[in-house]
Amino acid sequence: MTIHGFILRNALRNQRRLTLTVASVALSLFLFVTLQTALRELTQPATSEEAALRIVVRHKVSLGNVLPVKYQSRIERMPGVAQCMKLTWFGGIYKDEANFFPQFAVDADKLFPVFAESTIDPLQREAFVKEKTACVVGAKTMQRFGWKVGDRITLLGTIWPVDLELIIRGVYHGGIDETNLFFHHDYFDELMPRKGLVGTFWLKVTDASVIPGLVERIDHTFRNTEAETKTETERAFQLGFISMFGNIKLLLSSISSVIVFTLILVTASTMSMTIRERSREIAVLKAVGFDSRQVVGLILAESFGLAMAGGLVGCLGAWLVFGNIDVYSLSRGFFVKFDVTPHIILTGLLVAAALGVVSCLVPAYTSIRASVVDGLKELD
Amino acid sequence: MAIPLKYNLRNLRVRWRLTLATTLGVALVVAVFVMVMALARGLKATYVSTGDPRNLLVLRKGSTADTSSQITRDEVRRIKYLAGIARDEHGEPLASAEIVVLATMERIDLSGTANVLVRGVGSMALTLRPSVRLVEGRLFQPGLRECVVSRKIADRFANCRAGQSFRTGKTVWHVVGIFDAARTAYDSEVWVDTEEARKAFNRDFYGSILLRPVNEAAADLTKRMESDRLLQIRVLPETEYFRDQTRTAGLIQFMGAFLATIMSIGAAFSAMNTMYAAVGARTREIGTLRVLGFRRRDIYLSFLIESVLLALVGGALGCLLSLPLNGVATGTFNWTTFSEVAFEFRITGELLAKGLAFALVMGALGGLLPARAAARKPVLDALRAV
Repeated sequence: MTIHGFILRNALRNQRRLTLTVASVALSLFLFVTLQTALRELTQPATSEEAALRIVVRHKVSLGNVLPVKYQSRIERMPGVAQCMKLTWFGGIYKDEANFFPQFAVDADKLFPVFAESTIDPLQREAFVKEKTACVVGAKTMQRFGWKVGDRITLLGTIWPVDLELIIRGVYHGGIDETNLFFHHDYFDELMPRKGLVGTFWLKVTDASVIPGLVERIDHTFRNTEAETKTETERAFQLGFISMFGNIKLLLSSISSVIVFTLILVTASTMSMTIRERSREIAVLKAVGFDSRQVVGLILAESFGLAMAGGLVGCLGAWLVFGNIDVYSLSRGFFVKFDVTPHIILTGLLVAAALGVVSCLVPAYTSIRASVVDGLKELD
Repeated sequence: MAIPLKYNLRNLRVRWRLTLATTLGVALVVAVFVMVMALARGLKATYVSTGDPRNLLVLRKGSTADTSSQITRDEVRRIKYLAGIARDEHGEPLASAEIVVLATMERIDLSGTANVLVRGVGSMALTLRPSVRLVEGRLFQPGLRECVVSRKIADRFANCRAGQSFRTGKTVWHVVGIFDAARTAYDSEVWVDTEEARKAFNRDFYGSILLRPVNEAAADLTKRMESDRLLQIRVLPETEYFRDQTRTAGLIQFMGAFLATIMSIGAAFSAMNTMYAAVGARTREIGTLRVLGFRRRDIYLSFLIESVLLALVGGALGCLLSLPLNGVATGTFNWTTFSEVAFEFRITGELLAKGLAFALVMGALGGLLPARAAARKPVLDALRAV
């Protein structure tokens, strides 16, 4: 019998315990990967090279305050600005409040130049730009409500005192978020009792290097006007949103650590239990000439293998599960994506590896210390 | 006759290392469960306890939050003096036209900013909200850029203590008093004079009207207001408005249930492992017990009880671990108003009982199969085991 065979037979001889232990490690790592993915989705907004070229201008007091439309032409003339688009959050209700998805009024002709990472059929795009009551919708939201191009939908305003009658003229794919609906800012303005209000201006710059100067310049231009502005990069804007979740990051990471700790506890105790039952065999091994290092090696190999088996099942299980279910619909739009990245899987496997090493420490120590004579004398 | 409980207790003590590990495992699962649920409960309780059942809230038709609602001055004038609204001793109607604005404010540790609700209120605001009490300083004076803030805002945001001042946009607000809103949603707000708020934030409309109908008149008044064609409004009880804002709490609750379920399966596996080991090591004892006259049923029950005991100790420990969190203040995001709401973890006796029940289920599930294995051991084989 080879040494590998010996380790394998040892690991397999109590199959029920093996199954239970591997299963509990797998479950815990599944949970760990889930939490880490949730944490990543909540704290690290998707980013791209295109996004790094965008900056956002909003009212200084808060997003709840609006800017006058006349700012647009002033910003457009500033050097470094490639596009300046009006973008206003509509926040309307489609049939029921539970059907929440983001809706924005935008300058139709500038939408795709600014959000260049989103793709759309050129004919659909043209149709959208031409027609005042047209809208384009992200693929995910189209699928969620079973919409088709050409459908008419009504959005009831909650923030603004207007209701929209829109016709879907196109579907866009890719980009930061496939759940949005975009419609004409002109149409919105036409309906509004007060004209010329804009939520934010979404800018595309010619080059990332102009951003610091431009941010400073915009805010300076509108200082001491009736509506002072706050300008920041798209990423800073998104992170600002995320910080409003408060302590959720702390919550998720502390739960993750509790899980890892519990895991170590349970696996370590199982390993100790396994080794204690074999104290006589270990004494025999030592008596026939295995030294402490080899004995520890045997224990380590078994515990490491056990933890890794659980780790693989848990991490790959999470990858398979979240790759095949529609988290967007299940979480009612709360998680737009739920990508289990290679980085997260690797972290999970590292946790499993560390677990394998840590949980063999106590039994290894006990087996080194145990005297051969005592071990041989032991009956069970 | 049942096997004495003492037998189980001693066994748990003898195998103390395994007992400890399993107990701690269960304890951590129960602690996570109780903590997450306490978070959801605290948040929910904040909204459920907000509002006076006697009050009605008037918003623009279609509006879901007072931050985005608009009521014109004409509408305010028309509503304020309607018959059926209670009046105070000077004959003034108990109605308060208010405006709520989101303001970005700096956290006290300068770690970032959050949206805070700034509420412009009139002289009736406090009368209409008996839960709000001034605890330090004085109320703002109309016509001045003064404000009062809740105790929680003062503790969580920079420059919000009495005597200090902070900026929103171009306006500097002087904090002249601190109020306590008895853990309601108003505890996350800054209050200023309505007219000052409208000037400072450049609004020519109001956001909402809070009013109190005279006894029994609520239904009639609601109907009259909503059917008035000159008013584009919706009327709802103040309590209902706040109850509808618990979306975030629902999400947290779902997360707690999801975590607890998966973690508890893991903990039940661990309990199962421990119990199988216990059964294996005590094969001879089981044989002896059978010879002494204990029936299979007794053995089964005894091992099941041992497993449940193990888990219950863990559950109790988990509850103890989570207790220090009771009353700890934290904040999260309210989706309806787009602002931060401050609240406290709320651990109730009922929640602790649920945690224990949860542990009990884990213990029972973990003990079922090992106990059956123990009960089924043939007497002779069991006695022969070395």
